[in-house]
Amino acid sequence: MRRSRVTLLVLWLAALAALGLFVTRHLTVSTDLRSFMPAPTTPDQRLLMEQVGEGPGSRLLLLAISGKSDEQLAGLSQQLAVALRKDQRYTQVLNGSFDIGALDDALLPYRYLLSPTLDHQRMDAAYLRDELEQRLDDLSSPAASLLKGLLPRDPTLEVLKLAERWSPPKSPELVQGVWFSPQHEALLLVLTRSAGFDPDAQSQAIDGIHRAFDALPDHAGGSVAVSGPGYFSVVASEQTRGQAEWIGRISTVGFIVLLLLAYRSIGSLLLSALPIASAALAGIAALVLLFPQVHGITLAFGFTLLGVAQEYPIRVLSHRRAGENAVQSVRDLWPLLLTAIASACIAYAAFFASGVSGLQQLAVFTVTGLLVAGFSTRYLLPYLLPERVRDVADMGWLISARRFVDRLPRPRWIPLVVAAATVLMLVFAQGPFWQNDLSALTPLPRDLLLRDARLREALGAPDVRYLLVLQAPDEQGVLALSEKLEPTIDALVARHAVDAVELPSRYLPSSTVQRARQQALPDREALTSALAEAEQGMPFQSGLFDPFVNDVEKARSLPLLTPEQFASSPLGQRVSAMLMQRDGHWLGLGTLSGVHDVAALQALARDSGGDVRLLDLKGAAESLVVDYRARILHALLGATVLLVIAIVVALRSVRRAWHVLAPMTLATFLVLAVERVAGVEISLFHLVALILAAGLGLHYALFFERDTGDAAEQRRTLHATLVCVLSALLVFGMLAWSTIPVLRAIGLTVALGVAFHFCLSILMAPHARQD
Amino acid sequence: MKMLDKPLVVSGQLAWLGGDKLERTVEHPTREVSTIGDGEVTQQREGRSPRSFSLKRAPQLQLLLDSFVALLGGDSSRLEQAFTVQHSADGADHWTLTLTPRDAKLAQTVSRIDIDGSGNEPHCMRMQEADGDIAIDLLGDYAARMPTAPTRDALITLCRGS
Repeated sequence: MRRSRVTLLVLWLAALAALGLFVTRHLTVSTDLRSFMPAPTTPDQRLLMEQVGEGPGSRLLLLAISGKSDEQLAGLSQQLAVALRKDQRYTQVLNGSFDIGALDDALLPYRYLLSPTLDHQRMDAAYLRDELEQRLDDLSSPAASLLKGLLPRDPTLEVLKLAERWSPPKSPELVQGVWFSPQHEALLLVLTRSAGFDPDAQSQAIDGIHRAFDALPDHAGGSVAVSGPGYFSVVASEQTRGQAEWIGRISTVGFIVLLLLAYRSIGSLLLSALPIASAALAGIAALVLLFPQVHGITLAFGFTLLGVAQEYPIRVLSHRRAGENAVQSVRDLWPLLLTAIASACIAYAAFFASGVSGLQQLAVFTVTGLLVAGFSTRYLLPYLLPERVRDVADMGWLISARRFVDRLPRPRWIPLVVAAATVLMLVFAQGPFWQNDLSALTPLPRDLLLRDARLREALGAPDVRYLLVLQAPDEQGVLALSEKLEPTIDALVARHAVDAVELPSRYLPSSTVQRARQQALPDREALTSALAEAEQGMPFQSGLFDPFVNDVEKARSLPLLTPEQFASSPLGQRVSAMLMQRDGHWLGLGTLSGVHDVAALQALARDSGGDVRLLDLKGAAESLVVDYRARILHALLGATVLLVIAIVVALRSVRRAWHVLAPMTLATFLVLAVERVAGVEISLFHLVALILAAGLGLHYALFFERDTGDAAEQRRTLHATLVCVLSALLVFGMLAWSTIPVLRAIGLTVALGVAFHFCLSILMAPHARQD
Repeated sequence: MKMLDKPLVVSGQLAWLGGDKLERTVEHPTREVSTIGDGEVTQQREGRSPRSFSLKRAPQLQLLLDSFVALLGGDSSRLEQAFTVQHSADGADHWTLTLTPRDAKLAQTVSRIDIDGSGNEPHCMRMQEADGDIAIDLLGDYAARMPTAPTRDALITLCRGS
């Protein structure tokens, strides 16, 4: 007997080790928060999901260097920009200094096709004469040294016109040639290559910035502050992880102490951990087999939800009778345990029906885990437990506790009063019922948000809320539409309806326009004679402008610049991010800064006949959350029906099922009512937590309802339930103290739920009899 | 200027606004006002929107500013900080102050500045750029002595006071 027990233990541990090895070999954890969002259904929602992750707005980091004199800060800004531009992780680095490098040498002849000069101007002798006269003035002006180098190749300063056109619409103040905030910080804009809501990749990008800064020779004394969506996702995930870890450590210690006190046996404690360990490993293994990537949040929430499974070994330990074989105890308990397992599985399976990939993973993980924990508790654990144990039913305190519980008055009106109070609280609670704003759950310190708002304002960085969406059959159509829109947009900017709009055509004109400009360029002969005429009587040396004549000649025969070709340059990447193909047509995105008059923009969209839309990302996000919730609620409704059927079948009595389901339902609504009265707006995380609490409450009700007619067995039930309730209160009560809204939502809801479920199951238990 | 066949001539006023600020007003051939200071240059030309750029991009102006402010303010330590100063006097109370930028990078664009004067009056400021171009400012009374068709050599002779 003893031998076979050791063999079984070794085999079990070996199986766990093998599973562990498999999991560590194959597990890839993803951190993209979008897999926890529902699959978008409307075009706006789909655009939102892409923009949230990959749009230029979400990949933008705002940098502020402070702590030194203006001059030193400007120097640091220049050096940092140079360092970051060399790094593959950043697609664009702007610090306000005029950067001819934005158009590399190969693209330089394209300036005549990109700049609007030729739209309203012929490159004839009169024009050249006017330009050359201005250049002569420039040469005698303080700007001489700045322009001298450009002159032979670009006497009309087309490069400067483009630089002006491409600089951010509302530039911050320039001090020492770089952007400065009114608070005397040097400002930079950095566009990362990685998606904004991938905390790991963003963390690397931000780390790279700090490293580059620390590597600058004169950085001592200065500091660089980072802001933007990517930075926020890093802060949020670090904070959540940090708090979850220390809370987890404390509650694990508390949990172990509690079990030791309850069963006074280290052996039992260690053995009872085996089903849970098996459950977790099997759950992860199932995820690895079914999904290419496992989400980090799935694992975090999954372990929390698996807490229910700890009940199974606890029940077995508490229900052992003196002298009775563990296998026999489990056999007696099994029908009820099986009902409990099945009902918890049904509740968690509701997540699968939500259609959200992260939640589907959660469902697979928890259901697999619950089944493994349950069946290993039934078929493996009892064979390992020591033969003889202390029967908890004989404990003095438990006998008096049971007596106290039994003596509690159980008037039939209690459920009615509780139900009425719940309804009243729900009806009279102030404020909105649902929390639709996902950002309300972002645990960001207020000063970080204020700093972001300040930098965004100073940099004129685009509004993250609104986007202008242009739609056309092809890429060139989008660019043409964008060009057609420019005068209307300029009028809106002049009316201060919006501070600035950045359209794709600002960087790249359509091929039609490019061709028109190309055709307007004079041939070499015409240009030379026009130039000769213009130069008449001017002091410029002959042949000085040969590079200019060559460039114009080259521009005349260039293939028109396409977005693909342009994409090789940093600016072209910007254009690529603004254009996308979707279901056989193309979309162009216009970013807006400083929206003052939404109605005017909406009117613009209305007048376009559907080609232009104003996308409210906040509105789309909220509609997404509403959809999301509707799906979860539907799934829950389905699960509830299944649950009722399962319980009725298992107990073979509608009346008994009622005694189990009524306290559970009532307690669930009571939690909701109390949170509402306390001013809590209900978010998705509250819903998830309510389901977990209901799962636990169902177990309490099931066991309290069990009519064994045996007082000792009733005491054992109370013991098991008390251990379960205390451990749940410990773990989730700790979470409720967290400062992070998501963790607090889960902790508070489950802790309240466990308490209400326990009290109501006791008070509504059908057969409390005095003995 | 190498790019040009003949010298460019402008006339106007250069005013020290106190502190680190100079204002350069051109009256001829086109009206233009530039302010140099606070690390920035702002140019305003009639009928056009103002243009501004960093002093860093125009090292000549930084030097012009340094030397002017130091000279006008009588701040010899500031002058010594930015330049190595050589003073030479020749005969009839004419003197030349030769300023060579200490900053090696600046010296790559401006090799030296010569200031000619007599008594307490500076007459000329000659900025020798490293690429061979030269900018000559005739100051005070000397501005009126600008020849109608100036050449580099004639101006230098004029400045030397001979």
